[in-house]
Amino acid sequence: MAEKNNSIARLIITLTIIGALGALFLAGVYEWTIPHILEHEARARERAIMEVLPEVDYYEEATHNDRIFYEGYDENDNFVGVAVSLRGGGYAGEIEIMIGSDPYAREIINIFILNHQETPGLGARITEEEFRENFENAPFSELEIVRRTPEEPQEIEAIAGATMSVEAVKNIVSRVGDVISEHYGGGS
Amino acid sequence: MDNLQYLLLLFISTVLINNFVLIQFLGICPFLGVSRHVETAFSMGLAATFVMTMTAFATYFINTFILVALNLEFLRYMSFIIVIASLVQFVEMFIKKVSPVLYKALGIYLPLITTNCAIMGMALLIPMNDYNFIESIIFGFGAGVGFTLAIVLIAGLREEAQYGDVPRDLQGMPITLILAGLMALAFMGFAGLAMV
Amino acid sequence: MARYFAIFKNGLWNENPIFKLIIGLCPTLAVTNTVVNGFAMGMATGFVLISSEIVISLIKKFIPNDVRIPSFILIIVTFVTFTDYFLGAFFPEIADALALFIPLIVVNCLILGRQEAFASRNPTRRAIFDAVGMTVGFTWVLVVLSAIRELFGFGTLAGVDIFGAGYTNMIIMILPGGAFLTLGVLVGVLNLLDRKVGSDNG
Repeated sequence: MAEKNNSIARLIITLTIIGALGALFLAGVYEWTIPHILEHEARARERAIMEVLPEVDYYEEATHNDRIFYEGYDENDNFVGVAVSLRGGGYAGEIEIMIGSDPYAREIINIFILNHQETPGLGARITEEEFRENFENAPFSELEIVRRTPEEPQEIEAIAGATMSVEAVKNIVSRVGDVISEHYGGGS
Repeated sequence: MDNLQYLLLLFISTVLINNFVLIQFLGICPFLGVSRHVETAFSMGLAATFVMTMTAFATYFINTFILVALNLEFLRYMSFIIVIASLVQFVEMFIKKVSPVLYKALGIYLPLITTNCAIMGMALLIPMNDYNFIESIIFGFGAGVGFTLAIVLIAGLREEAQYGDVPRDLQGMPITLILAGLMALAFMGFAGLAMV
Repeated sequence: MARYFAIFKNGLWNENPIFKLIIGLCPTLAVTNTVVNGFAMGMATGFVLISSEIVISLIKKFIPNDVRIPSFILIIVTFVTFTDYFLGAFFPEIADALALFIPLIVVNCLILGRQEAFASRNPTRRAIFDAVGMTVGFTWVLVVLSAIRELFGFGTLAGVDIFGAGYTNMIIMILPGGAFLTLGVLVGVLNLLDRKVGSDNG
């Protein structure tokens, strides 16, 4: 066999066999692991929704214009809030935020940062509880960044050294107000 | 117009803000290995940019119309590495035929590119970021330009550093890493330049 | 047995992938901001290295010389994809932290380099010792580097608070620039150690 080592057919056959065996093995791995991976994703999403709609007992998915809205209900089946995730430009990359709102898109209930690439120790502080508390019960419109302890509900306290990250979060959250009121009774 | 502005921002962001080498740590091996002289570094950058743009083009189609369409995502890494390796081989043969001058300049760097993780990283970031076709091409090209910029700059510094009085144990790789660290800090100043 | 131990020891210092062979630096710099991440990266890379060295040393006779490298890459990418899905399914936090750098193990020159230099020329048992030695050698440098960065950058070690609440984090240590600077200085120190005591460490 050794002298036939270099015939083109043998080269191709060897590579095909290795590739095919690898692909077959990976197909099995995929079947085995994918339910777990999907479960983790679903659980992470659920944790984020519960974080931004704490009063909610269960939620349903609704799709408007290709965007998924999570409609939250309390134990008496009252519609108490809606959550939606939105991406936008940050200081160093995209920021993705889950935002919970009352059903009329008037007040923010809470926000949760899903993904970001902000500077560790500076911009990354947008994920901290202390910063997110700024948005609790704040109105969607007229959000304002201040460099002191906030006194009004629409005021958000800036993070030292991370002005643009805070600005980016504010812009994304403001946009969510429009997105939600487009489909949920802003007028009522 | 809005779209054009967005694409320009994407390009700036890829080249400067999220520079592949200095901020994302992709392509460190050639960055340290082929950066002794500015000219060779520039040739390496050129070859990488060329292959990266082609790779962005090819992997976008494979990912969208084969892997995602047929639900074969678990073959993504395998198909991408095959694409990159074949592309490098093809580009090498093509350049050799068409332009012997260019081949002389780039030829020896092309095989090195197959294991350049900036190329694979770029190909993988495209589906991760959900880029469309145009965005993918801009991203691939921008990644290459960013790589070229970083490698040419470090080569310039290294050419100077060899005349400096560097402590014996820091000579070679350590001093290059320290220079790269200072450059990375400087590049952080670009953050916030464009919000994409 | 002593011969096998010599192969194993080789990777720890004399041919240490990071500061002697200078390969596999992308993950070394990118994921070493905490000890947990650094260690996880070492283990993930080690798993791929060990499994592919075993498989390749077993089937090396059947692989024609001309397609040696493509065959190695196909085998390596199979194990990398497996690692990616496995971590995603059972260690999602680690998978999230290492993200892009798990698939990029496939282009880590360390893996392909060892197949070419060792696994394709040696029997399986020796290949295992080589792979384990290289894994430990790669991992210890990652852990030392990430310990330095985490300690000064966050004031913690593997998540345990060391400096107490009054410590001001040195943010530069977790930034990309800090990664380059720390590795540069660390390699300088290791070179110094190697020169001073290296001769009897071989």
